[in-house]
Order: sequence, then structure tokens, then C-alpha cells
Amino acid sequence: MQESNQAIADDRSFIRAAELWLPEGETLKPGGGHYGNAGGFADVTARTAFAKGEGLPGKAWEQRRALVLDRFNGSCFIRHEAAETAGLTCAVALPIFADQVLKAILVVFCGGDADHVGAIEVWEERDGLLHLDDGYYGASTDFAQASKDVTFARGQGLPGGVWSARTPILMRDIGASQGFVRSDSAGRTGLKTGLGIPLPSPDGKVRVATFLSAPNTPLASRFEIWDAREERVGSQRRAVRIDGICEREGPLWPKLNPPIDILGVHPWQGPIGQVLGTGLPHVVGNGVALPAGYRSMVAVPIYRGETLAFITAWYL
Amino acid sequence: MQKLVVIGAGMASGRVLEHLFEAEAPYEVTLFNAEPRGNYNRIMLSPVLSGEKSFAEIVTHGDAWYDEHAVTCRFGEKVTAIDRARKVVVGENGAVPYDKLLIATGSAPFIIPLPGHDLPGVVAYRDLEDTNAMIEASAKPGSRAVVIGGGLLGLEAAAGLRLRGMDVTVLHLMGHLMERQLDEAAGYLLKQDLEKRGIDVMLNASTKAIEGDGKVERVVLEDGTVLEADIVCMAVGIRPAGQIGADAGLECGKAIKVDAHMRTSDPDIFAVGECVEFDGNLFGLVAPLYDQARVVAKTLRGEDDVFTMRELSTKLKVTGCDLFSAGDFAQGEGREDIVFRDPARGIYKRLVIEDDRLVGAVLYGDTADGNWFFGLIKDETCIEEMRDTLIYGPAFQGGGAAGQDPLAAVAALPPEAEICGCNGICKNQIVDAIGAGANTLETLRAQTKASASCGTCTGLVEQLLAVTLGDSFETGGAKPVCGCTELTHEDVRRLIKARALRSQTAVWQELGWLTVNGCPSCRPAINFYLLAEWPLDYQDDAQSRFVNERNHANIQKDGTYSVMPRMWGGMTSADELLAIATAAKKYDAAVKVTGGQRIDLLGIEKDDLPAIWADLNAAGMVSGHAYSKGLRTVKTCVGTDWCRFGTQDSTGLGIKLEKKLWGSWTPHKVKMGVSGCPRNCAEATCKDVGVICVDSGYQIGVAGAAGMDLRETKRLVDVATEDEVIEWTTAFVQLYRENAKYLDRPYKWVDKVGLDWVKDVLSDPAERAALNERFEISQSVYRKDPWAERATEPEARKFQPLADLTMEPAE
Amino acid sequence: MTWTDVGALSDIPLRGARTVKTASGCVAIFRTGEEELFATSAICAHKRGPLAEGMVHGRKVTCPLHSWTYSLETGEAQGADKGSIATYPVKYEEGRVLLKLGALAEQAAA
Repeated sequence: MQESNQAIADDRSFIRAAELWLPEGETLKPGGGHYGNAGGFADVTARTAFAKGEGLPGKAWEQRRALVLDRFNGSCFIRHEAAETAGLTCAVALPIFADQVLKAILVVFCGGDADHVGAIEVWEERDGLLHLDDGYYGASTDFAQASKDVTFARGQGLPGGVWSARTPILMRDIGASQGFVRSDSAGRTGLKTGLGIPLPSPDGKVRVATFLSAPNTPLASRFEIWDAREERVGSQRRAVRIDGICEREGPLWPKLNPPIDILGVHPWQGPIGQVLGTGLPHVVGNGVALPAGYRSMVAVPIYRGETLAFITAWYL
Repeated sequence: MQKLVVIGAGMASGRVLEHLFEAEAPYEVTLFNAEPRGNYNRIMLSPVLSGEKSFAEIVTHGDAWYDEHAVTCRFGEKVTAIDRARKVVVGENGAVPYDKLLIATGSAPFIIPLPGHDLPGVVAYRDLEDTNAMIEASAKPGSRAVVIGGGLLGLEAAAGLRLRGMDVTVLHLMGHLMERQLDEAAGYLLKQDLEKRGIDVMLNASTKAIEGDGKVERVVLEDGTVLEADIVCMAVGIRPAGQIGADAGLECGKAIKVDAHMRTSDPDIFAVGECVEFDGNLFGLVAPLYDQARVVAKTLRGEDDVFTMRELSTKLKVTGCDLFSAGDFAQGEGREDIVFRDPARGIYKRLVIEDDRLVGAVLYGDTADGNWFFGLIKDETCIEEMRDTLIYGPAFQGGGAAGQDPLAAVAALPPEAEICGCNGICKNQIVDAIGAGANTLETLRAQTKASASCGTCTGLVEQLLAVTLGDSFETGGAKPVCGCTELTHEDVRRLIKARALRSQTAVWQELGWLTVNGCPSCRPAINFYLLAEWPLDYQDDAQSRFVNERNHANIQKDGTYSVMPRMWGGMTSADELLAIATAAKKYDAAVKVTGGQRIDLLGIEKDDLPAIWADLNAAGMVSGHAYSKGLRTVKTCVGTDWCRFGTQDSTGLGIKLEKKLWGSWTPHKVKMGVSGCPRNCAEATCKDVGVICVDSGYQIGVAGAAGMDLRETKRLVDVATEDEVIEWTTAFVQLYRENAKYLDRPYKWVDKVGLDWVKDVLSDPAERAALNERFEISQSVYRKDPWAERATEPEARKFQPLADLTMEPAE
Repeated sequence: MTWTDVGALSDIPLRGARTVKTASGCVAIFRTGEEELFATSAICAHKRGPLAEGMVHGRKVTCPLHSWTYSLETGEAQGADKGSIATYPVKYEEGRVLLKLGALAEQAAA
């Protein structure tokens, strides 16, 4: 059972690897990651550090915004030989800001081949509408085209919903909710689940990242959203799981009303507790402390101002 | 084994079955459901509508569960009758005998019988079919939805449809959203939150008809507004669906009556959920339904348990809206409110305390302590000891509490908010200057010019110093508007502009008002400030005006009114005088000639006001605004037309001024005079604006007074033409409207800001032109006769009693 | 004792009032900002001011003549002023305002 799950994670999933870079003075140092079968790439990474402006993480640091690289050759990506050997062909760098302070840079890797369907997008507000800033779509080329032409108003669709609610949102059925043009091609492409997260930016611009997933090549097999705001959990630092869905366990949200069955963690308690404790993203690559059947997870803190407000996590 | 038949597979009966199967149950169960499916978590349909949950996730009992417990499922089959004599339930596909019967038919959505309510495209919001119909409608690009009903369900539907990409308008009959669960302040925040999601919310909106050719195309409101719509969701409430019980002869009131064991008038028949009436109460929220379910299951097992009513709490399932309400939050005698507002974070909390017990709580934006408050309400805990810190929640009990910060409103201003209107200085410029060392009001004024001109923003600049420098700065302690706020009139005016606050509710919330909806001191002031700032957007609130301005007549000591028609420049005619005389006789009025060159009719009953106005209107006369904080009269002498000393046409100029300025609302009343020569027969030198005609032109004086204070006007400017008089006078009045404190006459305001500043501003031709333009924009709304609008129906009716029951017998 | 329909809720302005004439005197029906209804005698106990013309704030009304303020719930004058006005049962159902007339007659007789 364990092994077959591992195989799913490595071969089927759209996200192949993820890693963290942490600022230390003037450089970014590796902060851990999961690399699946790309062991050689992990070894190269462990010996690397980036200055501001250098490589993909350094460039994201310098520009203070999310960057998408849909191919490595000829790009700023320094580790491209090792990456290509490991079958990784694209990367998305997401800087995590608490107000003006860079907490970490999360880099997510995908493998590009015709079988893998999924999308990672960054939306940016201009003139009161969200426009596509950049995106990686794998094999979903007509969906990529449709996305370029579409905009979202406040409250509309996954990006507009995240924008107006200022919270991460996990959608089960993006098909019918993405504006007509996109829903049509989303349906044909098989994209169904979507995770949207607000990307707080030091320049004050509204940005939203969306991760769209298809059942056959899921971005991840389990998604969770945790609420850590004082307004929700009170003055004792804590996070409660407000939404989640898992291929194995089904829905992960509280069933009772009032939600006395809601799952909560304290700082340093398990992987989510690590994020609460450190305020940094957390990546697990060896299955330790993860739910049964999972080998890796990425947990991302989402700040409102200087305060940690939400944590989103995905598991492979 | 006894036979138990259950009609309805909803959340209440589902919970009954769960309890029943917790231990070996002595029943064979047959379950009827009109919907073609088993029990699902109906209250989670909203996230299914929005796409945030899938239907599979909200199924409570799947096929496997019914199999496991050997429940015979008759889904998609309606029950047509209960035959109590034979003890059988008759379904569409045949009858089933019962030993015990449980009716759980729930409720049906209430459909307002509007014209067009039965058109295809009008849906309720009750079950999966409704939800799917709405999802389907949202698939059409650019499609529009109108949701009728701004309660819990309607708003969840609106948010879901918006997330699906539709253009959504919510129509709500009442003055604020979710009025059963929320007070006005929380309703305001909720409206704002929904508007940020691109949802249009129309309050006090009464629907007249739904129209369309074969399907829904538009919704028409009573006020004539037409809204295009591809789908109309009617979510105005539910009605118990207990007809099957009534047909079977069970005792019914508004629903099927049950005792505390949930037993109907037939001892073998039970009822549970929204179809029951217990002790006069109906049910719509899930918590008491679960209590009832427990009681039914225990009673069916022969165990003892009784149902009791308990306090309820409400949460809205819209992602990103944090809202909680519980208990009774109405104000009242012996009740005390504790209000906490944090405008910067959009937080509003209100606790209602009675006899040292918490009886109600409304929380918006911060619901962390909701369950703790709910516990205190339910348990009737004595809160005497923690009263002062109660609102800060359990974490503060035993510790020190942070008070409400009066500086919060200023701290929340965005950097680009304009603080000093005279010099165009924004918050960030002031904060930067403070950061660079300007740590007193004087140095700040010297360096940035902020508050260095008219000075009305001094309070705000001081508060910015306090916010930026912390405890090391002491503010001057200017007098606040009233007990509802720490802010001064000047602060409130500036903040209304800087924060673009466009309603009284917005002012109360964003500026941290300490009371729920103001008091008689601040309400008229805020109403005026909003009206002066946003003449086109803000709807004048008659209920925030004193009686005279609301009824457009002056109330007298005996409750009757005086009516004074306008006489332009003090000129009248024989016909007007005849009409006035006729009206005076008809309505038995006392007649008085006033100092403002007009005629006052005293002793008019309120009921007669529309009629006397209609009579005066018919003779071409309009309101003299003798009751308003606005332009009263322009007193004139006869001028060159008749007078051998007259230098200019003072009467003609007076009439022109009056025609330009009438109807405008100002901080206090404004009286004017135009004298044809320096002999000053029109007494122009003690008016708010007084013009003295001379050979070379016109001397404009301002800021005179002849009341409690006696003041001579001060010379503003000398001009050569009538047009210039009108231009300068209008600019002066507009400057006064935009800057003065409510209830300051012009002379008081000029004392505060200085005549030099007024001259400075008005001597700039561009500034004068801009003031004239803004005045005209406002007059486009207000330069009209308020009497004419109220002399005819439907407005005239409002001056009559709501009902006359004097002929009605008391018993 | 019966409830008498005296009009539509929408006929009474929010934070405002309307009067109803009855055989036992004039009654003011108030609609508060919280969408609650109260009925009291329409006449101020001080100098007979028309309370329906007063400003409604919270669950209180302030008389337009000399600013006496009453609790709409108990009819008691607030603050330093001493006096009270009669209060009567009123409610709304499905948009209609219902007044209990019997209570009026009783109080008039008492």
C-alpha cells in the first residue's frame, strides 16, 4: 500500500518537487524540500546558495513577486542540468511576505510532458480586474490560451473569490465557476479542483495564486486550509482546519454545528504547528508525522500585514 | 419488532435514526422521502452552490448506511395520506402499516405571490434541485441573478452565485440585512463585505413584479427600478410543511402541535423538525432540531427525556465573512450595551447585558469569542465581576484590558487621505514631517502648512501627532460632537471626506461611534455633513432632522404649525394676498407680518398642511423655508424703481439672490439683505450676508448677526456688477456649507476661521468658480419646492394618522 | 382582546413614527433602527408635545418641544425629568402592524 501510494505521488502528480529558500543576510540558503525521485537534484541544491537577483529564487527575491519559468534552458535557472536530468522542466517561485519582510521563497517544480494536466497561475489586479500575470499549464494548452483572455471581477470565480474574501479558498468544482470561456476548456481538460491563495505583496498590489488540479494527474492528493487568525481562534496561538479534501479520507471539514469537532493544532504540534511556530513555510519529504499514505507535504503561511492569518497545505 | 414509519428524510429525522441505531433498536424502519435521495446536510448546500464543496461531501447517509441498518427506503415517493384508523401510511406506490409514525416533512419555502412568481427561472432555495437550477443558470456568460430576501439563505445564495461568476443583486425589504439576527451596525458591515464581492445590495427594496416572456427576464420594484434577470431566487423565509398531519386530523396550529416528548395529539404519532409547533414556537435552525431528535429517539425507546427551548446562535456560511449572533440583542430598559468597534479591522462587537447577565451578542469580523459568549448566555452566568473586560473575551478575564482607542479612526486612514483641505496636505506628508522631527502642532504647521489656514483640521492633525508619536504627545482636548464619539465636529467633517463615508451607518462604524445609532445631538449634524459632502449620493434622512425641517413648517407650543410662503425679495401681489387671505380663513389661521418681509399663517393642524400647501401652490407660491437651516429671506428696500435715493435695483438683486440660493441646506439659517443705498432701509448690515448698493456698485458684507449676539457685517469685497454679487455670495455660502460646524451661524464660523482666510480663498477666481459649481450641483437636487412634493399623494398621506380607529369598538 | 391591523410596516419610516387616532386618545407607533415596534401615548407628559414628531434613537424618543426623552419600552422619562407616558402592545406580522385596542380601553378606563 505504502509503495503504490508513493508511486502515485511520484508519477501521477503534477507537482514533482518543492523546496524552500530562506533569506540569511544577503543570501538565500536552502531550507529543506522534497524531491521525490529527483535525488541527484537534491544533492546539487544542498550545495547551492543564491544572492539577490541570482537564479530563480534570487530573482523572485529581487523582484519581490511570484515568477513562473516554463522552461529552464536559456533562463535564469542555474541548476538546469541537474533539474533536467531529474525530469523537472518547469518551476514556480512564490515569495512569502509578512508585510515588507521576506520570510521565505517557495519553489514548486513540475514535470512537463503531454500526460500531465494541471495549472499554476498568478493573477494580478489592474483597473479593478484580475488579469493573468503568469502561469504554467503543462499539457493544457487550450486552457492556457483561454486563461490569457479572461479577467475576474471582485467576488467572481476562484481568483475573484480569493481577492474579495482575503482568504484561501478550495474549490471542488471550478468547472462551472470560472467564467464561461474557461469553464468550457477546464471541463475538457479535466481540471476540477482549485486552490486559490492570496499573495500578499510588499508593493500593495493584489495578487492571487491558483493551483488547478485534474483527477488523473492531481497537483496533490490532499489539500487543507487552516485558520490562525486571532479573530477566529482567540488570543491563544492556534490554528483550526476550516476546509480540506483528501483522496483517501474524503472531506476534512468539521461536520458538527457549532463546529466543536473542528481539528486544531498548537504551535510546534506536527507539521502545521511548525508553520505556526516559525512563521515560515514547511516542507516534509520523508513522511514523518504525515497522515497515513502520504510521503511529502508543503505548508505555506499566508500573512495579513505582519500577522500569520492562514496556512494552506498540500500533500503527495 | 415494531414497525416505525418515517415521513421525510431530512436532517431532523436523520438524527432520530442515528440515535435510534446507536443501540439495538426494536424497530423495523420504513423511510419515505419526496426528494429522490436520502439524508444530506441541507445547511451545507450553500458551499455546494458556490463550488466550495461537492454534493458527495455533504451526504449524511449513503446507501450503505441505510443497508446496514435495514431501513426500507422509499425515496422519490410522496406520501398521500395517513390513515390513523387502520394505522397505515399511504404512499404513491402503496400503503405501509405502522406501530409508531414519525412525521418529519420539514418546511417549504415561502413564495411571495407576486405577479410572475410562477415564471420559469424563479427558484426557491431549499433543496438540491434548486441549487442545481441556480448552478445551471450561472453557466450562461454574463448572466444576472436577482435574489429577493437579504436573510441568511438569500445572502448565501447571492455569494454562491457571485462566485459562480454571475452579476448578483440582492433586494431586501428592510433597512438592514439579516435584521432578525443582526443589528444595524453589523448589517452595515455585512453589506459592505458583500459589496466588496461585487454583489449589489438594495435595501428598503420592495418588489412589485417579476416579468418575462415565457421565462424570467426582469424584476420591477415598487419605485419603478427595473433589474434584468436570468434567474430570480426567492429566499424570503420558510413555512412549516405539516399539511399531511392536518389532513390526518392531528391537532395543528401554524404547524403540527407536539408536546415536550414530541408526541402529536395521536399518541402513536410523533413529529420532529421544522414541521412542528411546540409551545407556540416554530423552528428553522438546526440546533433545536437535534435536541428534538434526541427526545424522539429516547421516547421511542421508552426512555424519559423532554425537549426545552434554548438560546440560538447564527453563523453565515460565506467564506471570509466572520459573523456571529446569539440571544436577544435589542436595546431596552435596564439593558446596557457594551460596544466595541475597531474600524481599521472592520470589527464590531456588541454585548447586551441585563441584571448582570449577558443576554445577547453580535460579533462581526472577530468571532473568536462567540462560543464563549454563547455559553455565558445559555448558562445565564453572572458576569458582574468581569463586566468591564467582558467584551475582550475569556483571555482578558483576570488580566488588564486595553481600552477602545479613540485614535483608531485616524490610524486607519490611508496614507493618501487628505487631512488639510485648504492646502491639500495628505496624511503621509504629515506623518513624514513628524518622522523628520516636527513634533509639535506649530512646527508641523510651519513645515507642511497642515491646519495653518482655516484650522478646522487641527483636531485631526493633533491626533496624527498622537498616533505617530505615541504617549509623548498630548492633544488639545477639543470638545467632541456629543457623548457618542471622541471626535469633534471638524474631525468628523474631514473624516467623512477623507474616508469617503456616504451613510450615517458608515460614519458610526468607521469612526467608532460608542452608541448604536447616535443621539439627537449628533444625528442632525452627521446628516447635514453627509448631505453637504455627497449631495447626489446621500439620501437626506428625514428621521435625523428636527420636526420643523421634517414637516416643512414651524411647530408651535400647542403642536400646531405655522406656514409661511416665500415672497421673493419681499415683493408680493394682490393675487397672492387674496390666496393667503383665503387660506387663512379656510384653515382658521392667525396672520402675522414678519421682520423678513413675509406673512406667517399660525395655528395650522398637521393634518391640514398638505392641503394648505396645495392651495398656496395653486396661487404660484412656494415654501418660504422659514423653518430650515438654509436660506430664509432676502430682505430688500424698493431701490431705484421707486426710491428717490436708490442707487441700484436692490429689489431685483434681492430676488435674483433668493432665486439662486433658495432650498439650499446650510449649517444654520442664513438671512440676507440688499439695501439700495447706504441709508440701509433693508437693515442689510446685521445679516449673514448684506449688500449695500452704492453709485459705483455693491459692497458685500458678511457675518452680521441680530439675535443673541448683535454684530455688524464685515466687508468681504466691493464689486461692480450684479453678476459679481451673485457669484461672490454663492461662493461664500458654499464655503460656509463645506466648512462650518453644524449650528454655527456664519458669524461664528468666520470668527473661528478668520475673515482673512475667507477673503483669501474667495479672492481666487478659480476657487470661486469651483465653489459656485459645487453649489449648483447640490442645488440640482435641492432647488425645488418641498411643499409641492408633499402636497400630493403618496407623500401627503404621511401627514395623516396611520389609522383612525375612533369609530372602532375597543373589544 | 384583539389585534387591529393599523397599516403596513413600510408606512412607518425607519427610526420614525406615525400616529393612530383611537377613541381613547392618540397613539404613536415607533419603528426603531433595529426594526422593532413600540406604541405609546402620542402626547408628552411635560407640555403635551407630539412625540411622534420626535427623534427616535436606540429604544428612546426625544420630544420635539423641550427634549424630554422617554424609554419606548417602559414609557418612563429619562435622566433628570420625571414623568411617564402609557405604552401599548404592538407587533408586526408579515409586514402588517397590529395594535391591541383592548389594552388602550383598559388603560383609559383605569
